[in-house]
Order: sequence, then structure tokens, then C-alpha cells
Amino acid sequence: MAQDHAHDHDHDHDDHTPITAEAAPGYYEVMETAVREILIEKGYLTANDIRHQIEVLDSRTPALGAAAVARAWTDPAFKARLLENGRTACEELGISFYDDTQLIVLENTAEVHNLIVCTLCSCYPRPVLGLPPDWYKLKPYRARAVSEPRKVLAEFGTIIPDDVEIRVSDSTAVIRYLVLPRRPEGTEGWSEAQLASIVTRDAMIGVIPVTLEKEAA
Amino acid sequence: MPTQDFVSRLPNDIGGFEAGSVMRVEHALEPWEKRCHALADVLDFKKLINTEEKRKGVEALGETLIGKLPYYERWIVAFANISFTKGFFTPTELAEKMAEVDARFAEQQAG
Amino acid sequence: MNASPLASVVPALKELPAFSEGQRVRVLERAPIGHYRVPIYLRRHVGTVERVIEPAMIDNEEEGYGRNAGNRLHYYRVSFRMTEVWTRYDGSPRDELHIEIFETWLEQA
Repeated sequence: MAQDHAHDHDHDHDDHTPITAEAAPGYYEVMETAVREILIEKGYLTANDIRHQIEVLDSRTPALGAAAVARAWTDPAFKARLLENGRTACEELGISFYDDTQLIVLENTAEVHNLIVCTLCSCYPRPVLGLPPDWYKLKPYRARAVSEPRKVLAEFGTIIPDDVEIRVSDSTAVIRYLVLPRRPEGTEGWSEAQLASIVTRDAMIGVIPVTLEKEAA
Repeated sequence: MPTQDFVSRLPNDIGGFEAGSVMRVEHALEPWEKRCHALADVLDFKKLINTEEKRKGVEALGETLIGKLPYYERWIVAFANISFTKGFFTPTELAEKMAEVDARFAEQQAG
Repeated sequence: MNASPLASVVPALKELPAFSEGQRVRVLERAPIGHYRVPIYLRRHVGTVERVIEPAMIDNEEEGYGRNAGNRLHYYRVSFRMTEVWTRYDGSPRDELHIEIFETWLEQA
């Protein structure tokens, strides 16, 4: 199934050494600063454009997706709207889609397990989950999630029984995906906030289930 | 491998390739990486460099460079190259500005 | 009384989607150079249109060359059997791959 290819397409090394106050900025940081400053000086964009967009990015975390999931678990009418049109339902909650993407929400059930990936780059539901983790952008996940999803899931400790159908969604254009995980047993009567607190980013990517002990970011 | 495969397969098209185990690596973005992401968004909002042009710009770095450079390093080099093509600024202007930024950081550290 | 004018609205060329939900479609076997957004692993495979993505949009392969306006067509969310895509797929025969594909890449299967 895997196509022969010996070359590495994505770096696997971790060279994100923290920059201390004393260390000189690296070459690419200098380039970023220079590109930004020239574009500002020439009037293509403003410092405020960048500053504001950083605030936008900082405001987007998996807690937003978790809030939508918890609402869907407790409000059947909202869940129906979320599955019908993920973007407009999230907009109801005040989540804007600043990158002009659409959102399809994929419901995990006893019969179907969904998983999201972007084999060509790093498409990700940033408006509702923030920026993706490194592993989502690196070769092993991108290359293998579409061809051997069960093995990839097993590497996350997630074993999907053979009678459960796996659906892998590969994002390539304007659609982004968010997995609506199954609500775990033992959460009857929990408040929306309690429920949201156990919904993890990785569960909304579809690589792990939601459990009573929150285990990952 | 016939040479046509090198020109008709993009370096980022890796779905189905063999690869190692998934290591759950992640890191908090450096401030410059976050600025680079914000820059990408703003360039797309204004359609100065849209998201698809950025993807194509990264592909244009070629397989070797894509393999060697981390994520945001690829982006900023792509933005520089596309900016030259679009006439936003010239390679000389970028080199001069980078020297100026270097000097400014050095001064800050000395001061 | 005549038929409602609503019954005789004429849409522009290519305004309506070419494929519909449930239709079997084949991803064209085409090997463009330059920029593309349909991964090679899907070329020539046959799947089923699961959803027509509204509204019609600019082809992102054209956007890659800086064209932010122009002809619009539809994207389709298409489902494939994993066993159809990967000859040695290891998993349930019901497992599926879903992806959105621009109209220019599809033909009726």
C-alpha cells in the first residue's frame, strides 16, 4: 500500500531551541523581522495588522472546540445544527472563521470513528482549535494516517475494533474538519463546563477518545 | 525512476508513503514563529500573498530544502521569494534590511 | 394564470454543480506539473459524492498563481473505500477515506 519513497519530506529534528534573552536572534527570525518591517514601511500592511492578528491567534485554543462539543452533548438541537453546518453553529457561540474556511463536524458513534489529517500541508480547524501540534504537520502522521489509520491510532494508544468503521478525512481545500467525540459514560448530569473540561484537542482531531481523566492537550 | 515523476509529484504530496512511528512532538511557538503565522494570515486577508500562493511557494523550495528547514523557516523564505516576484521589494532591499535588523539587535545586546 | 416565474429561472453556465449526492465519480488520471491540490494517491480511483459543497468557489489550484477571482465551480466531498484506494489495506473493508475535490478533477464513473 505504501508507495516507495526513500526521501524524507519533513524535518523530524527538533531544533526549536528556546531563544534566551542573551542569545542573538537566528537567521530566520531576522528575515521575518526584515520582511515584516519592509512591508510595513512600504505601506502594504501595518504593525497593527500583525499585532491584532496575533491577538486573534492567541484567542483560539482547543477550549473553543471543547465548548462546542460540550454544548452538542447537552443540547440536541445545537448538535443537529452543528452537524448540519459546523461553521454557522460555531458562529452562534461567537467563534468567527477568520480564515474564511468552512467547517464540517464529524460525529463519532459506536459504529464510526473519524480521524482528520492534511496530507498535502497542514490544513487544520484553526478558528476552533488554534494552531496544530508539530506531530500533525510532520511526515509520519501525514503520510500514514490515510493508508494505515488503525496502526497510526494504535500509536496513540487508541484501538478501534474491526466492526467499527474508520473514516479518515483528508483536508485539501476550503473545508476544515472537527471530530465530535463520543461522550464518555459516567458523565450523566455533568454541567456543560465540566464536560468541556475533559474534551481534549487530540480527541477533536480523532486520535484519542475523551476519557474522564483528561490526558493530552 | 523516470525523471517525469520528479516534476509531476510535488514534494509535499506524501499521502501513503512509508514513514516512521508518530512521535507526539509539539512545542510552544517562539514569538517570531507566531509573528510569522500572523504575517501569513494578514498577507492572505489582503490577498497580497494568498494561502495557496504560500503553499506553492513552499513547494517551490524543493524537496531537499523542505526536508531541511522547519515549518516557519519554510514559510518566511517562501514569503521573501514571492515578494521578489511580485515586486514588493528586491533581494537587495531585503539583504540591507536584514543587516540593519542584525545591527539593531547587536546594539540592543551591547546596550 | 401562467406558471410561476420561479419555475423558469435560467442559471448561468456552470452555476449548478455537475455532480450530485450519491453519484459515482472517478478522479481523473492527470499529472500536472506546477501546483495541484489532488494528492497522487487518489488519482484514477472511484468514489461516491457524499456532499456538494456550496457555494461554488475559485479553484485553489488557480489561486496558487495569484488568481483570487474568476471562474467558480463546486467542490465535492467524495468518499472512497480504503480497500479501493490501497490494494493491500489492512483494516475493515468498510473503512473510508473522505476528501474534497474540485469539479475539474472528476468524471462520472
